[in-house]
Amino acid sequence: MLSCRGLRKDYVTERGEVAAVDGIDLEIAAGRYAAIIGRSGSGKSSLMAMIGGLSRPSHGEVRVDGTDIWSLSENGLAAFRNKRIGYVFQFASLLPTLRLVDNVALPAMLGGGGRSSATYSRAAGLLGQMGLGDHLDAYPSEVSAGEQRRAVIARALINEPALILADEPTSDLDEQTEIEIMDELLAVNRERGTTLILVTHNLALARQAEQIVHIAHGAIVA
Amino acid sequence: MRLLASLALQNLGRRKARSLLLIMAVAVASGVVFTGATLMRSIDSSMEVGFTRLGADMMVVPEGALTNITAALLTVEPTDLVLDEDLFAKAGITSVSRAAPQKIARVEHSGIGSHHDSVDLIGFDPALDFTVRPWLVERINRDMKPGDVILGAGRDAALGSELLIFGKPHTVYGRLGRTGVGTHERGVFMSFATLEALAGSVHGPNGPPAVLQKGKVSGFLVELAPGATPLQARFAILSTLKGVKVVTGDSTMSGIRQGLAALLNGILALMVLMFASTALMVSVLFSAIVTERRGELGLLKAIGARRGQIVGMMVIEAVIATGAGGVLGVALGVLVMRLYERSLVYYLENIGVPFVWLDGPSIVIVAAAAIVMASIIGGLGSLYPAWRASRRDPYDLVRGEG
Repeated sequence: MLSCRGLRKDYVTERGEVAAVDGIDLEIAAGRYAAIIGRSGSGKSSLMAMIGGLSRPSHGEVRVDGTDIWSLSENGLAAFRNKRIGYVFQFASLLPTLRLVDNVALPAMLGGGGRSSATYSRAAGLLGQMGLGDHLDAYPSEVSAGEQRRAVIARALINEPALILADEPTSDLDEQTEIEIMDELLAVNRERGTTLILVTHNLALARQAEQIVHIAHGAIVA
Repeated sequence: MRLLASLALQNLGRRKARSLLLIMAVAVASGVVFTGATLMRSIDSSMEVGFTRLGADMMVVPEGALTNITAALLTVEPTDLVLDEDLFAKAGITSVSRAAPQKIARVEHSGIGSHHDSVDLIGFDPALDFTVRPWLVERINRDMKPGDVILGAGRDAALGSELLIFGKPHTVYGRLGRTGVGTHERGVFMSFATLEALAGSVHGPNGPPAVLQKGKVSGFLVELAPGATPLQARFAILSTLKGVKVVTGDSTMSGIRQGLAALLNGILALMVLMFASTALMVSVLFSAIVTERRGELGLLKAIGARRGQIVGMMVIEAVIATGAGGVLGVALGVLVMRLYERSLVYYLENIGVPFVWLDGPSIVIVAAAAIVMASIIGGLGSLYPAWRASRRDPYDLVRGEG
């Protein structure tokens, strides 16, 4: 499913080039739940961004289902992100000017689905599954942080991706909400067979994963 | 496209305060552009009318012709001598901007006024004229045609009425304002063709006056080219044209005319500079807006928006906002011009200074241009920062870089 070879990411700082990710090789099988753990600044988010087609590696390749995603054209990569990957970020990543149902439907519309009733009924269905059926027309600022995160999960699922990348999705939530959000993500992984890669520094969450990748100073240590 | 427009509208709708401020800023700028352009064009036309009412800078008549110089050179003087109508067209004198030929025949028993009154029948070329038509205070609402006459302020006949000249019917096309110049006030003005058609009816001691022949004129009223002095023009005319005499008018008037024209050009240049700085301001504003929304753009890229979609959304949003600002600006401009009309224009017209508003279709064109320009400025202002942001990796944008 996911294969990384010699993945490296350098950032230019005032003190010269710094390698955030330093030559990582990684394999994650389809349908797995993998956790990438490490301390703040260890390079786990940079690794996740390269895996997800969000940040171009300085060196190395990322293959998702055999496709070298960084060899795709700009529009090809955009289409790949749109159809094959769902993101759940560590911040409230809903567009504040759109209703929840619009936010969830947006990836499908951007991918060429248009503003069809089928897209909207699918978005409404996903929000219903996340317990937000009564908040379709609410704006992000009108719902709680936990509900926003559920809406983000619904958005990540709208195009039925093969891979969900969740970058510390519960870092700003209370314990109870964190459990609920993780339950939703794990349910997606189990019931839909969607590969789930979770970036976290919460070891308790990581322990539930089938594969744990421990990163320190930009390299895999375990 | 519909999706992008819809996203743009939703963005504008949800950020009401910012959108309103942006629209107001553009409205003020485009209102200034619209009002400024309309008023400047109107003032330009009014000044042109005002200037031409000051008369010609000089008059060129046949050598030997007697002339009675007046303060304002508005018509040539009656004389038995003639010049060729195409004299100036052939010579191409650069210090002369315009040379308007006139024919003048002082006739008796024409049927105008009492039996023995002499009447000055004055022929002019409407295409070159700049001393007769600017004085029109009323006219029939159509173009002048053969058989039409314009009456000087000293003559009385209703507009559109029939006037018999040597028994031939003519239509009173228009009336001129008071000028204080005898020939101008008493004259009956018509096109060359209309005057030449009367040649068979006018009888003098030596037959019809020579000036009624086709291609012959009594003289020329001359306007100097910008920057040319009366002395330069006089020298150029006398050295180029043979058998002519140059009669110079009040040189103070020429100086004032040229000075005011230069001042107007200076004001126009200032307006252009102001418009350019407005465009720059709007561009900077949009650049800041795009920078502020990097995170949002990064998110859109992350969920699959293509570069074209990112740029398109930002540009559409800018065009909608600035276009709305343009429409509002034009509406504000119309209100400002109403106030202007009721105050300064009313005052000017009361003291006899003509104010010529730009005609309706031209105002519509200026308004449309102001709206389109506002939209283009918005579109262009957002294009570069949106294009730059769209080139960045989504992760950089989400982290607030780029």
